[in-house]
Amino acid sequence: MATGFLTDTTVCIGCKACEVACKQWNQLPADGYELKGHSYDNTGHLSGTTWRHVAFIENPKKQRRLSGDVDLIALAGDVTETLPGNAELDGLGRWNFMSDVCKHCVEAPCQQACPTGAIIRNEFDNVYIQPDVCNGCGYCVPACPYGVITQVPNDGRAFKCTLCYDRQRDGLEPACAKACPTNSIMFGDVEDLKVIAAERVATLHSKGYDNAFVYGTPEIGGTGGIGGNHSKFILMDEPETYNLPAHPFMPQDKVKGAFVASSIAAAALAAVVALTFRD
Amino acid sequence: MSDISSDTLAAGRGDQNGKVETSHHPKTDPKQDKKGYYGIPPIKHAHWTWQIPVYFWLGGITAGVALFTAVSKLVGKEDPAVTRLGRYFSVLSMMLSPVLLIWDLGRPERFLNMMRIWKLRSPMSNQSWSLVAYGNVSGILMLKQAAEDGFMGKGALPRLVARLVPDRVLQVLALPLALFIGSNTGTLLSATSVPIWARNWMLMGPTFLASGVSTGLSFISLVLNLLRTGRRDTHHTLQRAEKVMLLAETGLIVASLARMSRWGKPLYTGKVGALFIGGTLLGGIAAPLALLFSGNETRNKSMLTSVLVLLGGLAFRFALVLAGRKSADDPQAYFSFARGDNAPQPGDKI
Ligand code: SF4
Ligand code: SF4
Repeated sequence: MATGFLTDTTVCIGCKACEVACKQWNQLPADGYELKGHSYDNTGHLSGTTWRHVAFIENPKKQRRLSGDVDLIALAGDVTETLPGNAELDGLGRWNFMSDVCKHCVEAPCQQACPTGAIIRNEFDNVYIQPDVCNGCGYCVPACPYGVITQVPNDGRAFKCTLCYDRQRDGLEPACAKACPTNSIMFGDVEDLKVIAAERVATLHSKGYDNAFVYGTPEIGGTGGIGGNHSKFILMDEPETYNLPAHPFMPQDKVKGAFVASSIAAAALAAVVALTFRD
Repeated sequence: MSDISSDTLAAGRGDQNGKVETSHHPKTDPKQDKKGYYGIPPIKHAHWTWQIPVYFWLGGITAGVALFTAVSKLVGKEDPAVTRLGRYFSVLSMMLSPVLLIWDLGRPERFLNMMRIWKLRSPMSNQSWSLVAYGNVSGILMLKQAAEDGFMGKGALPRLVARLVPDRVLQVLALPLALFIGSNTGTLLSATSVPIWARNWMLMGPTFLASGVSTGLSFISLVLNLLRTGRRDTHHTLQRAEKVMLLAETGLIVASLARMSRWGKPLYTGKVGALFIGGTLLGGIAAPLALLFSGNETRNKSMLTSVLVLLGGLAFRFALVLAGRKSADDPQAYFSFARGDNAPQPGDKI
C-alpha cells in the first residue's frame, strides 16, 4: 500500500498548526527569528528543518470573483443573503493558504540522484532519507524539482519530510494531518485520496469554482516526467502562484543521452588529437 | 491592505527597488506581474563551495593528460617525458580529487558510503566509482614508472614490476575512464533541476571534456617547458593539438550558449558574466588562440599560452557552477523552464 497526503488548500485557514506539529514531533530546530516582511508568512519555504510550510497568498482584489480563491463561508453554508450592514465579503481582500510538503514523488529525482543510497522508498512507498547513511554530499538538493530538501548546516546531512515514518509504523497518522483542524491535510492510501480529491474537485466545480484542480496526478494534471506525487494538492490557481512548477521534469532522464553524447565527443576529440601527431 | 500603507512602507526597502509587494496574486494584483511566491526560489541551489569547481578542473586536466599520453603510445610516437609526467600526475590527481570531494561533504567521515551502491542514473555515483577505478589503474601504472625510474631501488622486485605490468593495455583501458571523468563533471551538473544546466544536458559533458582536454594539453606543455624536457616534435604536436582543441571548445561553448538560450542569462550578467566572458572567452580562449596562431613558437610564449588556458578552464568551471546558483535562485527562469517543452521530457529526441 502506498500512503500519502492530500492537501486541500481550499479549506486551509493558515493556522500553521501543521508546521508546529511537524517541528515538535520531529524535534526540528528553529529557523531563527527572521521577518520576511512580505506577509504573515515568515517561514518562506521548505527546508531541511521545515518539513511543512504554510504559504500565505494574498488576494487584495476588491471585486468578487469566483476564481483564485474560495468563499469559505458561502461554501460552508451556501450563504446567499446579504451580510449584515451590507458588508462585502471580499472588501479587504482574501487569502489563499497552502500547506506545502515533500511531494513524495512516484519516481523521485532526489532518490535517483543520491549516490549513497540513503534515499529509499520505505514499506509505505514514501521517499525516506536514512539519516544514518546520508553523507551530506548535497546532490539531492538541486535534483529535487520542488526545492524540498536542504542540507542542514550544523548537522551536515540532508533532511526532508519523512511522512512520519515512525508514526506510521505505530499505526498513527502523520503529526501534521493529526493537528490540522480543518482537515485540509488528509492522510491515507493514495488510491483513496485520489477518489476523495476527484470528488472534492467535482463539488468545487459544481459550485462555480471552475479553477479547482488536483496537482500531482498525471491524469488530471500537475506533473510531467516524475510520474505524479503521493502528496497531492487541490489548488485553485496556477501552480506557480503556490511556488510550484507547472510541469516538473525528471533530471536523470537524460543521463543516458548525456553519456552517449559525451562518448561520441570523446571519440571525436581522441581522433583529432591522434591526427595532430601526423607530420 | 490598502495602497497607502504600501507606499509609505516602500521607502525602507532596498532590495525591491523601492517597490513593495503588499499582496501576492499575480493575476489580480497590478503590482505583481511576475509568477511565483514573493520571489522566493522554488528550487534550492547546490551548497557546493570552491572545492567542487576545482575538482572539475582537476578532473578535466586528468582527462586531457590521459588522452595525450595514450594516443601518443597508440600512434607509436611516445615521448618518455610525457609518459612519465602522465603517470605521476594521474596518481597525484586521483589523490587530490577525493580530498576535495570529501572536504565538501557535510559528513566527510562517511565518504565510504559512496561505495555502498552503484547507480547508473546518478552521475555522482558514477563519478565516485570512476575515480576509484581510474585511481587504481593509475596507481599500477605509476608503480611501473617508479620501478623504471629506479625509485624502488635495485633488485628483483622493481624488475619484476617493470616487466609484469602490461602498461600498453592498461593505458588504453584507462583512457575511457579518464575521459568519462572529464565529461561526467558536466553531466553531473546537467542532471539537476537547475534550468541553465538541465537545458544544456546534451552538450555539458562534451563541453567540459573539450575544455578539460585543452587544459590537460596545456598542463603537459607547461610542465615540459618548466622542466625543459620533452622532444621537439612533442612540443610541436602539443601546440597543434592545443589549437584544434581550443577551436573545438569554442564551437561547443557557442553551441551550448545557443542551446541554453534565455536560461543562459546568468553567464552574461553580473560578476559571473565578467568571469565567464573575461576569464574564459577572452582570457582562456581568444588570447591563447591569438598567441598560438601568431609567429613562431618560443618557450615563453608557449608557457604564457598554457597558463592562460589553464586559468581559463578554471574560470569556466567556476562560472558554470556560479551561474547554476543564480539560475536556481531565479523563480522566473525555473517557472518558464518547467512549462511547455522547454525542460527535458521523457519522450523527446533532443
Ligand atoms: S518532492 Fe523532492 S524531496 Fe520530495 S520525493 Fe520529490 S524529489 Fe524527493
Ligand atoms: S546529501 Fe545525503 S541524501 Fe542527499 S544525495 Fe547526498 S547522500 Fe543522498
